[in-house]
Amino acid sequence: MNIAIFAVANAVAARVNRFVALLLAPALASRPASLLDAQRSIPWNGAAPLLHVSSVTELKPRSRAGGASHAVQRAGWLARVWQALLRRDPATAALDMSDAFAALEYAPVAAIVVDRQGRIARANAQAERLFQYRHCDLAGASAELLVPHLLSTTHERPHPLRTVAQACEQAAVRTREIRAKRRDGSEFPAEVAASKLRYGDGVATLAFVTDRTERYELKRDREELAHLTRVSTLGELAGSLAHELNQPLTAILSNVQAAQRFIDLDPLDLAEVREILKDIVDDSCRASEVIRRIRAFVKKDDLELVRLDVGDVLRDVVQLVHSDAIVRGVHLSVDIDDDLPAVRGDKIQLQQVLLNLLINAFDAMRDCDALERVVTAFAGLDRDGNLRVAIRDRGEGIAPDRVERIFKPFVTSKAQGLGLGLSISRSIVEMHRGRLWAENNTDKGMTFYVVLPPWSAPEAARQS
Amino acid sequence: MERAGSGTTIMMINERSECGATVYVVDDEASVRRALTRLIQSAGYRADAYGAAREFLAQVRPCGPDAGLTPDGSPACVVLDVQMPDLSGLELQRELPASLPIVFLTGHGDIAMTVGALKAGAADFLTKPVRDADLLRAIDDALARSADALRSLRELHELRSRFERLTPREREVMDLVVMGRLNKQVACELGTVEKTVKAHRARVMQKMEVSSLAELVRVADKVARAAAVRNQAQHD
Repeated sequence: MNIAIFAVANAVAARVNRFVALLLAPALASRPASLLDAQRSIPWNGAAPLLHVSSVTELKPRSRAGGASHAVQRAGWLARVWQALLRRDPATAALDMSDAFAALEYAPVAAIVVDRQGRIARANAQAERLFQYRHCDLAGASAELLVPHLLSTTHERPHPLRTVAQACEQAAVRTREIRAKRRDGSEFPAEVAASKLRYGDGVATLAFVTDRTERYELKRDREELAHLTRVSTLGELAGSLAHELNQPLTAILSNVQAAQRFIDLDPLDLAEVREILKDIVDDSCRASEVIRRIRAFVKKDDLELVRLDVGDVLRDVVQLVHSDAIVRGVHLSVDIDDDLPAVRGDKIQLQQVLLNLLINAFDAMRDCDALERVVTAFAGLDRDGNLRVAIRDRGEGIAPDRVERIFKPFVTSKAQGLGLGLSISRSIVEMHRGRLWAENNTDKGMTFYVVLPPWSAPEAARQS
Repeated sequence: MERAGSGTTIMMINERSECGATVYVVDDEASVRRALTRLIQSAGYRADAYGAAREFLAQVRPCGPDAGLTPDGSPACVVLDVQMPDLSGLELQRELPASLPIVFLTGHGDIAMTVGALKAGAADFLTKPVRDADLLRAIDDALARSADALRSLRELHELRSRFERLTPREREVMDLVVMGRLNKQVACELGTVEKTVKAHRARVMQKMEVSSLAELVRVADKVARAAAVRNQAQHD
């Protein structure tokens, strides 16, 4: 999926480059002198390609998981470029306002210019397409029709910028996620990057609107894929889970049939029968607990970030693979430190990551001697106070130059594997602002590490 | 399930307890172990439960002169979950004598495993959850096999101790006689006279407690075969 996002970023970057070059071309031709001035005062060369793929990727926030915010960043950046262009020469700005906005027609994103009264002064072709209006129908209409409360938020902020250098500061551009309205009244999720422009005496708001529907779909696709791999992982465990269910059923059936015989005895041993009934109740609860765990794991829910005990998550997963370990003759030992701080995360997705790592560890030792088949799972704190789960196997390990490759999608060593487990696990961990990586052990086998930041209350409040 | 009347049940229980058969239940899950033990006891057998295959093995594996016998010498069998964490059911089966047949229980009947177990002498292979009628029938069969194995084992013990009472000379005479040699030929081969051979032969018949040559041949054959098996076992 990363590849897809990257490709989209590439395409957009290319289009923005073309568009900005086009925008600058008339200025170059008509006013070479002022351009030279501009070049002196503006830190970047306006004629050179403005947006490189590298700069798009650099715009990403620290975490890689923030792929969804790329376009917001791009639109915000575009708005800032626009401001910078208009401010190069404030004296003449009013004069080429219409020229400058004419170039908006070629912008690859929907752009609208709104005057102080909230009327649409200009909308480009992309905007007409996005909001499904006919050509020129938008001019003079209220911006509220398209983007509710557009002005209320941009105008309430005092405009702090006076100089070109300051124009590059982020504060001038407000980026928001809102629901925009098409002509037929249907709503869609949109990102709006809006900024106030000052030209001569006038003030207007320029807003770039990006349809977010696709990105929501992308996110949904990702969750769908995570769900699918979860189901298929559980499918691999089906045999051992059946065993897990079979055990309490066996105990229940035998207990009932023993009781049927006991009640025919004379004298009737009531104490024994009472004991049997208690066991039957316990085993029924156990069976339904197994089913509950399976259902919880394959449940298709929206992501739910809550306060979690990593130790509990690990314990749950160990329960799930308990029988599988026995069937495969793997000795699984678990070492969970006491009093670990909580993390913020989605329980099912983190379970999925740990389950995946454990099953991989079991698979890695398929060809080992029975005595060598040992998997150890640790949960504890690392030196920086982050939560760390380590899954260690004693298999063959992987050549050092291939260790990173196994996190790529569709890379697998298993005949039946899709090769998505580790790449999805990594994207889940990164979405939790954590890290997932693997190392060869010094003696034998590999260790996979999951590191997650501890729960912090202020941050949780901010994010929710 | 067809239920027996209470009178029959009680009679059945007494009858079985008296014959002293023991059923060993080996399952790593306490609740299953307890339930199976109860069911088996309710049918009148003595039941003894273990949570690990090795623990069970350490307890029941007889050694020395009693090798091949059950711990208390009376018929016994094992009801075993094929998936034990410490020792697989098939591995355990290799360690147990024929007098301790195994009724395997398995969560999911894997054909290869079933065939392997049955070829290696498993009494039965049942899937969990198991119905009492099926389990008890399998246990009955297994105990019958155990009783058979014990009987022939005892017979062999008896024959061997008779054989051991023979002097070296008497053994030589017996070997040649059962090969079909006449007294005259035996005497010639051993460098003695026919009369002496006749006396030796009479003592062999007496000590081996047989009354005809045919019987002696059969007994000698059994002893020889048991010795061969024992030698092979020692080589392993």
